Amino acid sequence: MREIIPRAAESNATTAAAGTGTAAEERRLNLLRHIALAGGKIAPDAEPNAEHGYAYGALGDDVERDLGILARRNYLEARFFDRVSLCPKCDSHHLNVREVCPGCRRAHLANDGLLHHFRCGYVGIPSEFSPAADGSYLCPKCNGRLHHLGTEYDRLGKAFVCRGCGLISENPPVEAVCFSCGARTPAEDLISTLVFSYVLTSRGAAAIRRGSLLDGDDELVSVAAAPVYRRKVILEFLDHEMKRLQHFNSKFSVLLVNCAASAMDQSGDASLTQWLTRLRQGLREVDLIGQLADSLCVVILPQTKQREAEALRQRIVAELGPQSPITLSTVEITEPRHLAQVLAGLNARGEPS
Amino acid sequence: MNGFLHYFLSVLDPMRNHGFSRAVTDMLSSELPSWWLTIVLSFVFVELPAIVTWLVYLVKPALIRPPLPVRPDQAEPLVSVVIAGRNESATIGKCIRGALLCGYSNLEVIFVDDNSEDDSVAIARRAALSVTRSGRDSDRVRIFPSPRRNGKASSLNIGIRMARGEFIAITDADSVIQYGSMQHWLLPFADPRVGAVAANIRVNNSTVSLLTRLQEIEYGLKFTFARFIQARLNLLNIVSGMGGLFRAEILHRLGGFDTGLGDDNDMTMMIRKQRWKLGFSIGAVVWTTVPVTRYHLVRQRMRWRRNIVKIQLSKHRDRFVLGRYGFADAVLAVYMLGARMLMPMAGLIGIFWVTFENGPLEAPQIVVTFYWIVLLYLLIRMLISRELAGTPTPVNFPLMFLIPFYLLWLKVVQEYAVICELLRIGAKHPYVPDHIWEEIPWW
Repeated sequence: MREIIPRAAESNATTAAAGTGTAAEERRLNLLRHIALAGGKIAPDAEPNAEHGYAYGALGDDVERDLGILARRNYLEARFFDRVSLCPKCDSHHLNVREVCPGCRRAHLANDGLLHHFRCGYVGIPSEFSPAADGSYLCPKCNGRLHHLGTEYDRLGKAFVCRGCGLISENPPVEAVCFSCGARTPAEDLISTLVFSYVLTSRGAAAIRRGSLLDGDDELVSVAAAPVYRRKVILEFLDHEMKRLQHFNSKFSVLLVNCAASAMDQSGDASLTQWLTRLRQGLREVDLIGQLADSLCVVILPQTKQREAEALRQRIVAELGPQSPITLSTVEITEPRHLAQVLAGLNARGEPS
Repeated sequence: MNGFLHYFLSVLDPMRNHGFSRAVTDMLSSELPSWWLTIVLSFVFVELPAIVTWLVYLVKPALIRPPLPVRPDQAEPLVSVVIAGRNESATIGKCIRGALLCGYSNLEVIFVDDNSEDDSVAIARRAALSVTRSGRDSDRVRIFPSPRRNGKASSLNIGIRMARGEFIAITDADSVIQYGSMQHWLLPFADPRVGAVAANIRVNNSTVSLLTRLQEIEYGLKFTFARFIQARLNLLNIVSGMGGLFRAEILHRLGGFDTGLGDDNDMTMMIRKQRWKLGFSIGAVVWTTVPVTRYHLVRQRMRWRRNIVKIQLSKHRDRFVLGRYGFADAVLAVYMLGARMLMPMAGLIGIFWVTFENGPLEAPQIVVTFYWIVLLYLLIRMLISRELAGTPTPVNFPLMFLIPFYLLWLKVVQEYAVICELLRIGAKHPYVPDHIWEEIPWW
């Protein structure tokens, strides 16, 4: 980590001079640098005046949001630190959480337990058994003496006795009173929010070294968390395949992979990544898959004719099943203009070529 | 033996149909005073009250089955349903849900788990959650898992100590309170002298086997009809642990149940001694699960009978002192001694003596005549019970022919239990934990 810091400072100067980063990206990069300087890890500190009771030092107002974004983009690894309960009415964490009587809802409870006299079966709270001169207790039911715990009488586990109404409860409900707005809320209805500590990842360290976040198409080979080449890379492979076609007449096919936008919105990137992973598993090792746009991928099938590509498509469709948000179509590339037509079609759909 | 069987089967043959007519002829022509005494006494003490009740029901049904008054919800007193059970995971969920959904709003349920080895507590919490939407204790359900096994009486005492209702209903973990029963159950408490009310216990699993069907008839005759009449005569001798509603002040003042077996019988005696009246409500139906196998039935009935002997003859023997606890209590004490112990034993001995008097089973006509008379009495009571309380169910009526044999078999079991208890053979029952048994006194 010590190596990163000087390089990061150097690259930062370069990037700033180039003027390529937006203000938000620059702020997040600075946050990464701060974490690197702090030893590659940042943990929240208890801060009663903070919104959720924890603060990440003097890092600014948007720090929690930025940390979350950086963690989602794999620059940081989020690790569970604590769970904070909030008032559902005012979102305050200033809560008084305590057991209350299930009958009168007052918190005036005492964990006295119950005593059980074996001889007569009497069950009562300890104050009902009057102490005798010899140190034993007298049973209020049979007046028998309780000398030995375990052989003559017993304590019956945990029992909360309400000092207000006298109700006895073994597992009383927990309720929170908000110090800010005064709302009384059952514990199960409180809002819970998770608080994380964050650890710099190798990707975050790389971003610091470079002086910019590594989300540009030209900076990475694969889409994060998916076995799919980034757009620039797959276009390079397509270009290379076209050269093979021209020089060796090595015809090939492409499989256009369309992801339903509605499905993406509902299930998110994680779900799409899973579907693309399954698609990758169904392909041959020589096949190459890459992302052309947010909802469009392309699979290069080297030395594959249209008929074979169609057979492969049908097999993959069957393997993915009817629930799949992915639709596949095949195009055989036998001439350079075929690929140009495909890319032109994408342009017509508004996809960047 | 073959002659006996031939004779017996011939009078049972419906095609010949002379069994009953012959029995009546035998009865009328008999000159034995003991014979007449048996027939007439059983008619007076068993059949006559039933017939009178039926006639009253025909004339004024409200006297037998009082209608519910229209009352606002605010007038409903808080009722605490206390359930104690051990290893009752199969039934406790239904029991708790049944109590919570019995149509009575001002009610709380307290389940005391007697250190079960199964997942009774988890199932009870799930059942509570399904109704109250709270997995913890609430104002409607509280669950107390006992850290050590204490027996039923102590477990009930925990529940009673936790209860805050004006009335406390005690029910078994394998019983279910019928919807709408609680209002009927509370009706007799309009009389301030009533301290406890027994529920109408009906059989939940009567269709499982022949044995459970026979028990359904028995419950209809003994637990429903007989107890109704006993309550009217202030001679009710038990408010069953399967379904009993008590004034909470009584249970609190008595310090709950005493440890040992026979808690319901014992509590009933203690309440009677305090000069409270005991009631019975036909409309307060509690469905219970009866033993399915002969082994379990024998164990249950032996336990019941031993408890009666222990509680009534030993622990509460001061009731035999006439006038100490009132005339009715003395009558009841004598009735329990005579009708429950001495007469059945004498009857059994008599049957065997008459049957074997002239050699083994050479005089079957007396037994057969008895059979037909008992059958006639049974039919009268079953019809009246069916009319008044809806039990036994008509589909089980044909089993009436087996009931005398079933009852005779049970009598043998029960008398064996009486002898065992009097001689204190096998007094320790596994229902009572060792550490409790060692401490409780023997009365």
